[in-house]
Amino acid sequence: MKLIFELPQKENGIIEKRLGTEEVLYCIPYDVDFKGNFAEGWMVVTQSRIILLLNGSLEDEFEISRGSNYKAVTYTGSGVLEGNFDGTLKPVTGYSMTHVPRYMYMARILNELAEGKIPKIFLTEDDHVCSQCGRAFIRGTHICPFCTSRIKIIKRLFKISKPHWHMYLLVISIFWAITGLSMIPPFINRHLVDDYLIQGKRELASILLLVGGLFACAALNTVLVMVRGRIMARIGGLLSMDLKNMVYKKIQSLSLGYLDKRKTGDLMNRINGDTREIQSFIQDHGAMGVNEIILLIAVGIYLFLNNWLLALFVFIPVPFVAIACRKLGTSIGRKFRTQRRVWDKTNSFLQDILSGIRVVKAFGQEKRGIERFGELNREYADVTINNEKYYNTLFPIINFILGAGNFLVLYMGGKLVLGNNMSIGELVQFCMYANYVYKPLRWLGFMPRWFSNAMIGAERIFEVIDEEPEIKDDENPIQHGIRGKVTFRGVTFGYKSYEPVLKDISINVEKGEMIGIVGRSGAGKSTVINLIMRLYDADEGEVLIDGIDIKKLSQKDFRSQLGVVLQETFLFSGTIYENIIYAKSDASYEDVIRAAKIANAHEFIVKFPDGYDTKVGERGQRLSGGERQRIAIARAIINDPKILILDEATASVDTETEQKIQEALGRLVKNRTTFAIAHRLSTLKSADRLMIIDNGSLVEVGTHDELFKAKGLYHDLVVAQRKMSRMQGA
Amino acid sequence: MLNLAIEKKENIPESDIIRYITPRMARFYRTEGGFLSLEIEPGEVYARVNLYRTFPHKEARRYISVLNDKGKEIGLIKSIDDFPPETVRLMEKELSRRYFVPAILKIRSIKEEFEYSYWDVVTDSGERRFTVQGRHNRLVSISETRHLVIDVDGNRFEIADYRKLDPKSIKIIETLI
Repeated sequence: MKLIFELPQKENGIIEKRLGTEEVLYCIPYDVDFKGNFAEGWMVVTQSRIILLLNGSLEDEFEISRGSNYKAVTYTGSGVLEGNFDGTLKPVTGYSMTHVPRYMYMARILNELAEGKIPKIFLTEDDHVCSQCGRAFIRGTHICPFCTSRIKIIKRLFKISKPHWHMYLLVISIFWAITGLSMIPPFINRHLVDDYLIQGKRELASILLLVGGLFACAALNTVLVMVRGRIMARIGGLLSMDLKNMVYKKIQSLSLGYLDKRKTGDLMNRINGDTREIQSFIQDHGAMGVNEIILLIAVGIYLFLNNWLLALFVFIPVPFVAIACRKLGTSIGRKFRTQRRVWDKTNSFLQDILSGIRVVKAFGQEKRGIERFGELNREYADVTINNEKYYNTLFPIINFILGAGNFLVLYMGGKLVLGNNMSIGELVQFCMYANYVYKPLRWLGFMPRWFSNAMIGAERIFEVIDEEPEIKDDENPIQHGIRGKVTFRGVTFGYKSYEPVLKDISINVEKGEMIGIVGRSGAGKSTVINLIMRLYDADEGEVLIDGIDIKKLSQKDFRSQLGVVLQETFLFSGTIYENIIYAKSDASYEDVIRAAKIANAHEFIVKFPDGYDTKVGERGQRLSGGERQRIAIARAIINDPKILILDEATASVDTETEQKIQEALGRLVKNRTTFAIAHRLSTLKSADRLMIIDNGSLVEVGTHDELFKAKGLYHDLVVAQRKMSRMQGA
Repeated sequence: MLNLAIEKKENIPESDIIRYITPRMARFYRTEGGFLSLEIEPGEVYARVNLYRTFPHKEARRYISVLNDKGKEIGLIKSIDDFPPETVRLMEKELSRRYFVPAILKIRSIKEEFEYSYWDVVTDSGERRFTVQGRHNRLVSISETRHLVIDVDGNRFEIADYRKLDPKSIKIIETLI
């Protein structure tokens, strides 16, 4: 993220004069003024002051320390940086949405400068604009569609497919063979026409030989094309498989931070969709394409060598058609996109209505849906018909123009023949070769688009493969048998580093202690847990396990000793048995049953017709919330974890189930260091100590009794909770 | 449980009453820093209030919600034009500060490349160049003729009535709508 922009000359002069030797720490654009106009301004920040430049002149100056509570407030479409100066709230600069993240950083930086501190800011967020050409990156990536080097990508793809080099060799030889074969028939035809038709030779045997030759060429060609197709399919398939494996493996190894920022759909697209693009490009277009180009070159050379004038006539229409295609290409693209858009509209509408059909019927709005669908259908039909009319007019015309060369050739060639400068056979041969030219040319017209798409697909895949996981193991990660002591030392962290969610948290948790984490929604409770699980690394401070910095431990080894029961119980598609042994694949049947018994799950599992082999997940048995929770507890127990993470479900279950779950949890937390985000009063009371988090800070620590008596935040939260329970009649 | 609910009804605060803020009982004025302050008779003072449009697409000057600096609603202004002209100007300024949606007056060019379009326009807040990703939900039609354009950073631009633009601009924008 760029926080130091270069000032234009005039502004630079003003600043230099004003500052003298004082160093400029930051300089960012100030592009919306307070009258609501776009402006060309800059905010220059030094250790002690803020200088504002607007439209080429000095606008204002502030002393940073006289202000406090700097805040970047975002409105709709713009934002304002405010500060509290000597008790009055004043706006400092205005900016468009483009600079929102920059100003959020600056607000934090200014607050630190105002307190005389040196700002420690982590600039991990990037711009989404290419620094080379200024174009926006493809959404969700750092790929600039303009700047990516196609050559590099191709080189890389070749490197990946190196293991299959013998297949490539075979395929290339087949390409040449096919091209060679194609050159023969016209030659045979010439002789047939010249020697036999015209001159009247009547040797049946030789005729049959020539015809046989034609037949053989055709047959061999067919065989070679078949083989070529199969090999290309294999190459495409293998390459695709290799890429998919690489991407999937990488995604699994990447940290939660990266995965959080992306949607599941996007990742799935990269693994399946993008690899398919490459595969289909290689199979469908690549194979034919290379052949066409080779053919084009070979034929082109022959034609020009033979009779350059005629050859010229063959190639003349080409540039015209190319230019026309270019110009029309955009309008064709637009038509296609409009069609696509209406199609999407119709689809979304259908999906909306059908998913919500209950609501439609409950409110009796079917007629409205029918009318609307009719409208959309009509629109789609109109657009499609229009487009088809267009294509059906356009393409025949283009084809005709392309083929127009033929008439020229015939005319000129005819004159040559009549003037005895060329035999008919030669003309026939020439024409046949000429016809070979048009298909490749047509193909070349479409090629750039296909190629582009495939390259972008490849680039997206490489982007994932190249990504370095944020949370990396140390060079020599320590494998440590956890005993259970956890320490937080001055931990500060934010998902976006300029917005810390946890501020300066410090606490020492002994082995076997059960800690309840309490706080309002969004206070930072889940974040504490994420840090203990090392799904993220702290921005400042340390997390220590048994006195060892968590960053020095091997992630795999560490996490295999954790037990986790989260709020949303996610069970994979599989059997109950498979889900329970998820973390411990070498568990015995006794292990599983024992774990399920401790979790109070065994009894209901056994009652299912398929027992532990019951399939759960999306396509399987529908389990109640309480049942899922208990299976999740069994899953957490089976590994005998030393540190347990518990994120209590807030969904209410019936009292009996509640009791069973509480019992199971009670057994689970015995003698294990437990961190529990607690909502139930009973859990809170049974905890050894409680951490009360408010707005990211650890405000109170102690037992339930201590904190309640202290009548602080915890006390208020409990009282409010009690009131709620009474209102609900609980 | 039913009894408890009926019993407790009196303790539940009323929530569906709209409190209208009218010129008769309220005065808005400008603070030193340029923000908006409110005083409601008798003696209810808010050092800083924020104005929000409840129907930003349909009603620019009516049904304006007034929130205190903690985000709680103080009341609703039925129409800002009910207030004296000075106050109306203050409110307009405050609203335009919050809702910065420049109106496109003229489209110089729109270049489409890959999945993005690069716009060069003249707005009532000055010239601007911006990038729009795709067109799916970035070119929103509020009505048949009124559109909203959202660029890759979230900046918004409005085309009040595309038919009222100059012919060149209409030609450019027509194909996209």
